[in-house]
Formats: sequence, C-alpha cells, structure tokens
Amino acid sequence: MCATTDPPHNRKDNSKDMHMSDALLSAPVAIAADVAAATLLAVASTRLKKESDSGLIPLMGVAGAFIFAAQMLNFSIPGTGSSGHIIGGVLLAALLGPWAGFLTLASVIIIQCLVFADGGLMALGCNLINMGAITTLVAYPMIFRPLLKFPAPAWKIMAVSVLACVVGLEGGALMVTFETALSGITALPTGDFLLLMTAIHLAIGICEGIATGVVLIFVGKSAPSLLNREQAHKLSGRKIRNIVIGFAAAALLFAGILAFFASSDPDGLEWSIMKLTGTPDLPATDTGSIAQGAAAVQTATSVMPDYGNSFSGIAGVCMVIILVWGLSGFLLKLRKSRQTA
Amino acid sequence: MGKTEKAITMLHDMECSASATTLHPVCLTLVTFIYLATMLSVPAESLSMLLWFAIYPILMAPATGLDFNRIFIKSLVAVPFALMIGVFNPVFQTEPVFSIGNLVVSRGWITFLSILVRCLLSVQALLILVGNGGFIGMCHSLSAIGLPDILITQLMMVYRYLTILLAESLDMSRARKARGYGRSHMDIRMWGDFCGQLFMRTVDRAQNIHRAMLARGFTGRMPRYDCRNRRWRLPDYLTLSVCVTAFIAMRIFNLSSIFTRIF
Amino acid sequence: MSHHYIKFDNVHFSYSNGYEALKGISFLITHGEKVALLGLNGAGKSTVLLHTNGLLLPTSGEVNIGGIPVTKKTASAVRRAVGMLFQNPDDQLFMPTVEEDVAFGPLNMGLEKDEVRRRVAEAMERAGVAGLEKRAPFQLSGGQKKSVALATILSMEPDILVMDEPTSQLDLVARRRVVDVIASFSHTCLIATHDLDLARDLCPRSILIADGRVTADGPTSDIIPLFISQYS
Repeated sequence: MCATTDPPHNRKDNSKDMHMSDALLSAPVAIAADVAAATLLAVASTRLKKESDSGLIPLMGVAGAFIFAAQMLNFSIPGTGSSGHIIGGVLLAALLGPWAGFLTLASVIIIQCLVFADGGLMALGCNLINMGAITTLVAYPMIFRPLLKFPAPAWKIMAVSVLACVVGLEGGALMVTFETALSGITALPTGDFLLLMTAIHLAIGICEGIATGVVLIFVGKSAPSLLNREQAHKLSGRKIRNIVIGFAAAALLFAGILAFFASSDPDGLEWSIMKLTGTPDLPATDTGSIAQGAAAVQTATSVMPDYGNSFSGIAGVCMVIILVWGLSGFLLKLRKSRQTA
Repeated sequence: MGKTEKAITMLHDMECSASATTLHPVCLTLVTFIYLATMLSVPAESLSMLLWFAIYPILMAPATGLDFNRIFIKSLVAVPFALMIGVFNPVFQTEPVFSIGNLVVSRGWITFLSILVRCLLSVQALLILVGNGGFIGMCHSLSAIGLPDILITQLMMVYRYLTILLAESLDMSRARKARGYGRSHMDIRMWGDFCGQLFMRTVDRAQNIHRAMLARGFTGRMPRYDCRNRRWRLPDYLTLSVCVTAFIAMRIFNLSSIFTRIF
Repeated sequence: MSHHYIKFDNVHFSYSNGYEALKGISFLITHGEKVALLGLNGAGKSTVLLHTNGLLLPTSGEVNIGGIPVTKKTASAVRRAVGMLFQNPDDQLFMPTVEEDVAFGPLNMGLEKDEVRRRVAEAMERAGVAGLEKRAPFQLSGGQKKSVALATILSMEPDILVMDEPTSQLDLVARRRVVDVIASFSHTCLIATHDLDLARDLCPRSILIADGRVTADGPTSDIIPLFISQYS
C-alpha cells in the first residue's frame, strides 16, 4: 500500500506501510501487545484445531504464500500515477474464515519480520494486532459478513469490500497512533499524527477495498464454490459475538499489562496519556512531560543530569564500541580457525 | 517486478547462509527477547545508556560464527524508516542538552539518534537470531518455547510454498508482460483477474497437497520430527546468565558515568 | 495382507461438478505384477490411481485392495498398504526439510523414534538421495525432488506402489535412477505414464483406458502398438 513513511517517488520498497518498528515502541507497550497477540494466536489455534476439515491446514499454508505473492504485485492507482499493493486481511477472512484468515495473515507478518526484517521482533505483537486482528477479527465479522451473502451482485461485493477495508485499515491506523503515542519515543504531536494517519489510511483503505473486491468478484464468477466454502460454516450472531469477546479479552489484557507497568513507573504512563489527550494546538504540553520540559527550560545549564547525557559520556561509549568492533573481526577469525583445526 | 525477484533471492540466501550454530536455539531466542526488552526500555533521552547495548551484536555475531560487518550493512535497511519518523524530534524538542564548542546539541537530536540506534540494534539482534539455524531452526525453537502447533505448521508451510508461489506469480507476470502494452503496473481490474487466478491455482495446489498428506496417513495433526534434539550444555547456561546479567546491569547502572567522571 | 492385489469391479465415478470420469472400470492386478496404465490426457488415469487408496471413493462399484474393500472406514488401513507417488513432487514435499518429509509417513503410523530413524535412513538410501537430509526442497533439482518423493513413500514400506507419471520432467540421468529404483521394487506396481519406454522396460502388462473405460488390457508389447495406431 502507499507508504506512510516513504516519499511517493521512492519505489524501492513500500511494504513498510503500516509496520510498527521496534524503534518507536517502549518496552511496556511492545510487551503488552506481544502478550495480547500471542493470546489471540492461541485462541485461533484452539478454534482451528476443532475444525474437522483437515484440508484447511494445507489450504491455509498455500494461501499464506499466495497473499505474500499478491502483496508483491503492484497495481496502478488510477489518476495518481502511483501504485499500491494489497495487505489482504479482509480478503483472507472472506476466503478462509476469520480465525483461519487471522492465522494465515499472522504467519505472513511473522515471516516478513523474521526473513525480511520488516518491523521488528518486539513490534510483532503490535503488527499482528494492527494489520491482522483488526481486519480479520473486527472488520470482517462485524461489517463484511453481516452485510454480504454470496452469491451477490458485483457492485454489492465491491461496496461491502471497500467499507470493510476502510474500517479495518482506519482501525489499524488508529492503533498505530495509539501505540506510538503511548510509547512516547517520537516527539510527533499525537493529534497531527492521528490526522495524517487517518487521512492516508482512508485512501489506502479504499484501494485495499477495491483490490479485495475485484479478486472476490473474479473468484465468485469463476469458482463460486470457493466463496461458499467459508459461508458453509455458519457464522451466526453467536459466533460473531465469540470473536468479538475474544478480541475484547485481548484488548483488556493489553490494557492490564500496561497498567501493571504503569504502576511501577507512574510518570511514564501519565506522560503518555497527557501526550495522547494533548491537543495539537498546544505543542508545548504535547511534546513532553510538563514537569521535565519546564525543568529543562528553567535550568538550561544542568539539563537532565539523571540521563547522563554529556559529551564525554557519549564519546566514551562510542570509543568502546569502536574498540569492540575492531575486535569482532578478529574474534570471528579465531572461532573459524578453531573450528577448522 | 523487482520486488518478487528480490524476495526469492533473499529466501535462497537465507537458508544457504544460515550458520551451524553452537548455541542452543532456544537459548539464543531467550537472550534476544531479554535483550530487546531491556534495550527498548531505555528512555529515548538516555542515549549514553542505550549505546552500551550496541556491544551485544558486535560480540554475539562472531561468537555464533557470523560476520558482524555483514550484519551491520544488512541492518541499514531500517535506517530510512527511522529517519522519516525520528526527524521530527529535533523540530519539536529544542531544549539544549550539552554543547561541543559552539555546537549546541538539543534534546531532539539526542532522541533522534536514540531512535536510529534502537532501529539498528533491534534489526541486528533479529539478524543474529535468524542467522543461527535459519528460519526453520527458528520455528523449531518457537515450538519448543510453546507456540501452538498449528501456527508452527502454518509458518513452515508458508515458508515452503513461498518460493513456489513467488516463482509462479513471476512466470504469470512475465507472460503478461510479454504480451504487454508497455505499462509497468497492471490496472486494478487486470490485477484482480491475475490474483484471482493465482488464488484458484492455490486452491488446486492445496487440494493436491492435502491428498499427498492423506496418502501418507495424515489425520489432522502434523507430526514433529525434531532431528536436532540437542540438550542444553554448559556454554548455553553460561551465555544466558552472562548476557542477562550484563543487560540488566547496563539498564540499571549508567556505565557512561565512568567517562563523565574521568574527563 | 498376504496377497497384494488391486481389484476394480465396475467402478463408476463422477466429480461433484457432475463430470463422469470413470464409466465402469474393471481389472485385477495380482500380487507382484507391474502394470502400466496408458491413455491420453483426461482419459481418467489419475482418477483411477486416486481410487486405489481411498482419496476418491467410487460412486458405484467396488475397489478392493488385498481383500479389503476400500471405504471411508478402511481408507486409513489401505493407505498403509498402498504408497502413492504424485505427479508433482512439489505437492508431495510439503515439509521444510527432506528428512522431516521422509519421516512424515512413519510418524503418522505411530512408530517408535528409533524405528522412524531407521526407516528414514533406509528409504533415502534406496531412493539414492542419502546425504540430502538437511536440505530444503527448493534446494533440490527436479530429479532429486522426484527421488525424495519416492523416498517419502518407501519409508512407509508399502506393499503396493502406485505412481503417477514417475518420469515426467526428468532428464536422462534422473530418469534412469528413478527407473532403477522402481525396477528394484519387488511388490505390486501400478504406473500411470505417457513414457512408453518406461512401460516397455518395466511393465510386462499394460492397461489402456480411454474416456473412463478400459479399452485394452494385455501384454505391453501388444498394447503399445495398438495405442500408437489408435491415435495416429
């Protein structure tokens, strides 16, 4: 999808779109999201274990590879001269069902992280929630499924796909903003960031929806039985409720862990929440802790002594790093020569 | 189509360059997680504390038979992202921290550098982890840590069929280009047909695989055959304890204060 | 199962989309026989093979393997006895490493770890792919893939071997090796193939099918000229 971070002329690799990065996350937020995502994965796994249809295992496996390949294919966005690609959450959920779709997309996100170093290991939880869970476990069961019964006319498939994808991606964008603000690593004012993210993801969501729609229309025409496959498992109101309850439980867990960290570091969370609720027209209160900011301004000479940020301190560490780096080549040679000996 | 080709090369590269590790994969996984958790918990303002964490990849890479210089170069992919996000910090955080001669370094520049360092270090730690035993080894250790079987199977299957589907989509798109109209990107309708076809092939393939599995007695549960069942040895315990102690020490005591005192 | 025979008795089969693929197939392959299944694309060869281990069940008629009629209930027992080599080795090698793939069948059979290890080593030796244990499937050549696929079946020590195009897409050397492995197999074999040389070299008997029916059944030396004359 069109990147939020790369300039539009940068064609090299725009798959970093919504990937959260380790660098932007504080440890509590990352760990809380990791635990919440792991819970969702565990729930999805137990759900799928109950499926009597053992053919789902190879289908999910190959479908994961399929969505990966599809993500690599860009399509041109009419009227803009730029191009985009699909993320595929709603598409996978429509083809495989919400839990199987979630697990499939999760495996793709994990492989992107491990093999292609997209995002980061600690940010994995955030990425699984933002890109995977919101689309497959929220947007699909709450919007797509209740509104659409296959077979349906093409316009209806398209309209519902666009709606579900916009909701899914906006939800993801909201989460990205939330997690970034809560972590407080970047000094971007939350309000501006939120505005930017929601605006960009409205456009991305529409593209994603159209892309999802055209694939579903094609499959509906050429092999309608594939679409009914998912709908054959009746997704009753009760099941939708279960999915939503599962998701809400994960969200509560996320909040609970954060609260635990916050109680041990009250300043941190207070600061984050202030950041989060801070209005964009008050950048001074928005960018940092009021107390620390004020202190910094007042005593410009002895700023933040507790962080130990002095030139000599930083220069000293850098010297140590360079020294160790010089040693590392030697260490590798030593190890290799010992192995061959 | 550069992206697809690049992905295929990276996948091949990855399995071929995986080092025969001497550490237990679970040990390395634990060390990596604790490293990331402690490293990311360093406040963004505390650059001097964060920099100490740079020593881990420099030492761990050669200790597990990897070349740190290569890891460092690979980790540079993460830089553009860090720049795009971090560049706002100097704009918003202008309070001065210290000065070198006439040059005043503001809080924003410190936090900006922090973001950059966090980015590089987290990617380096990941590369070292995956560089040991490759993706499959990683799956085995995730399974040993207790991730659900279905997820592990899913990861292995996607990894297995990734190259095949990427190659298939490359063939299809080359065939399209050969009859192409000089446009590098497909319009959305064409893209939809293309992906729809790819998906239908996917379903056919999944059916064939399912038959092949059934023919060999598959009953819905994937059997695990861990051929590398290696026990924990002394070096594993040693590495784990030394690393964890070091990380916690680096996190609690700001070792840079030594230099502040000396100079 | 002392007699490893394959018996089709007036087997009819229609796919769920209504296409009638088999229209009354009957034959008997006795213990130790090697039989080639010949026919054009779409004649129904693959459909016949999928019936031998219950991956497809007849719409009417009966398939009997060594005295056991193939039904949904007996399918798992039959699959232990019938090893099936699929046409595309990429579909057959679904595990991340060769070793894990060869062990998949024996592990599903619930064998002891040591026994599994012994069978993996032996099967890889017989298929001529010993030494490739740690490789990932995409690091293998086409011929190696086919041989490994064969090893995944041999490790289950089946009584009957059923193969779909074992030599398609192989170069001369790889083909020779696969043919040697099949020749060394002393049990009942049913091979669907377009490779007439393979049929001539390995199978004394051939069954010719067209449009879901058996059109000829007899010595390969008689069937091949008939097959060629029919379609030229």
